[in-house]
Amino acid sequence: MAAAAKQAQQLARQLFKLSVVDGAVSADRVAGVLAYVEKHASSNSVLVLKAYHRLVAVELAKSEARVEHAGMVAAPALTAIAEAMSKKYGRAIVATARPNPALLAGIRVRVGDDVYESSVAGQLAALSLSV
Amino acid sequence: MSTVLDQIEQQIAKLSTKAVKKNTGNIRTIADGVAKIDGLSDVMYNEMVAFPGGAIGIALNLEESEVGCVILGDVSKLKEGDEVQTTGKLLSVPVGKALLGRVVDALGNPVDGKGPIDSKETYPVERIAPGIMARKSVNQPLFTGIMAIDSMIPIGRGQRELIIGDRGTGKTTIAIDTIINQAKINKVGIAGGDAKFRPVYSIYVAIGQKSSNIVRTVAALEAVGALEFTIIVAATAADNPANQYIAPYSGAAIGEWFMENGMDALIVFDDLSKHAVAYRQISLILKRPSGREAYPGDVFYLHSRLLERAARLDGKGSLTALPIIETLAGDVSAYIPTNVISITDGQIFLETDLFNQGIRPAVSVGLSVSRVGSSAQIKATKQVGGKLKGELAQFRELAAFAQFGSDLDAKTKGQLDRGARIVELFKQPAFSPSPIELQVSVLFAMQKGFFDPIDAKKVVAAAADMKNFFTTRKDALLTEIRTKAALDKDIEAKLQAACEEWKSGYTA
Repeated sequence: MAAAAKQAQQLARQLFKLSVVDGAVSADRVAGVLAYVEKHASSNSVLVLKAYHRLVAVELAKSEARVEHAGMVAAPALTAIAEAMSKKYGRAIVATARPNPALLAGIRVRVGDDVYESSVAGQLAALSLSV
Repeated sequence: MSTVLDQIEQQIAKLSTKAVKKNTGNIRTIADGVAKIDGLSDVMYNEMVAFPGGAIGIALNLEESEVGCVILGDVSKLKEGDEVQTTGKLLSVPVGKALLGRVVDALGNPVDGKGPIDSKETYPVERIAPGIMARKSVNQPLFTGIMAIDSMIPIGRGQRELIIGDRGTGKTTIAIDTIINQAKINKVGIAGGDAKFRPVYSIYVAIGQKSSNIVRTVAALEAVGALEFTIIVAATAADNPANQYIAPYSGAAIGEWFMENGMDALIVFDDLSKHAVAYRQISLILKRPSGREAYPGDVFYLHSRLLERAARLDGKGSLTALPIIETLAGDVSAYIPTNVISITDGQIFLETDLFNQGIRPAVSVGLSVSRVGSSAQIKATKQVGGKLKGELAQFRELAAFAQFGSDLDAKTKGQLDRGARIVELFKQPAFSPSPIELQVSVLFAMQKGFFDPIDAKKVVAAAADMKNFFTTRKDALLTEIRTKAALDKDIEAKLQAACEEWKSGYTA
């Protein structure tokens, strides 16, 4: 079982490498990979596809700035965030807005694993931990 | 004027709304105090990681697709998918004199109900041990108060001396006696007002022990007034393995503060067998490859990097370590015992047979050794006890042969009688360490044959009476021995006279 999982992980990593073109995930390549896995279906296919999905999702998250906000966020602000993040990370990053009233006020921007917190909820959480 | 204020206000406004960057991940699995986390792409090795609800973790396994963390604290409220954050800090514990007299957990939080600890400084739990140039050789004594040890297996400040033996052979008692003795010496030294006097502060690290045992230890230290010079770091059997794994390193960090600030400290790790077991548990859950007895490959480094932190520093203080190892059926050649024996500067081996025969402390003279302590032993002890180890070893050998025959020549009989008396003389009750000057006096009496006319079975009572005689009636002589630390002709004459005075008044 452990050996099968390890094999699936290795295959998923190889397939993922094939799916990246110029540092970004290519939709065409992903379609090609899916077709290949479907054609060469094995008992491991589900494990491979799950591992592959995780790798692609992590990579895609690095190219997206998810802007959570309480209240309104103007389109120019989103563009400014996308530009600033693209400059910071050295790759094209698209900003997408998601309302989140739990933030109370302010915004939270997530790019991959990095979170930029500028919300009242975040400050209150930090305060409660420091007390 | 108002423009300047506006500028400052704008700056404050800018700062207060500045975004805080965090690197995050999500719990993928959690079991037995170990979490596997997706994300945390910026995490450093051994970095502190913040879990929801205030729990803290340490990143121990940095893999391609996940991070393995041990969690210190309450794991019951954590679940799959919870967000975890890096902190950018290494795990640190509060240090300083404010901790003296307190019982803390592996993270330095008080657990004795005496309120918060007012500590100004923190030290990282994991630190690189002092290098070669920073060290100084061990040449100052650290008295345990146990005659068998101070005379035959002396310990110096900055030494690592292992206490090893089966369960129930008195390993912890030796460590506690040593702590009590330091407190007694500290009190005498501080009261004496000697500017050169260097007190020894003690740290007792309890790893995987029953809470009731720790309570008993605290009570024993408190009863003799030793707790005020002692810090207790407790990771009980009820704590998760991560806390048990980190506790000795926390204790070492607390001890290092004393060492770095020109003071002397003693640290007891009770015990490293349970520490190795806790680390094995964590490593197996982290799926690290296992080796002999299922311990991970770095179990030697686990203890070597800990014990190397005990040292005597040039121009600073010292940290003396007394690690404890529990053996199974007296097997010192097992994996963990041999590892720790090779790391330390000697060992005090306690035997079950001796313990059951009523010889307590049950120190096996043949298997115990102090590799660096002899240079730290005071001259007075060397003068009266220099040949004791050899004499005792000879006695054990002769005693074994004497079992087969009844006809013994006078010389052999004399050696056996003397050996039996030395064995009796070294018997000492728990939690009653003897000052070194008293040990020297009693050993002098033994050397000069004052115990020879006394029946071997009555030597313990006679020695107790002699100690009482010296303490109550020869205080000036004891002070002279303590301050001079050597026996000159004048002191020897006084000792001889005192022993004769005792002999004339003693009736067995």
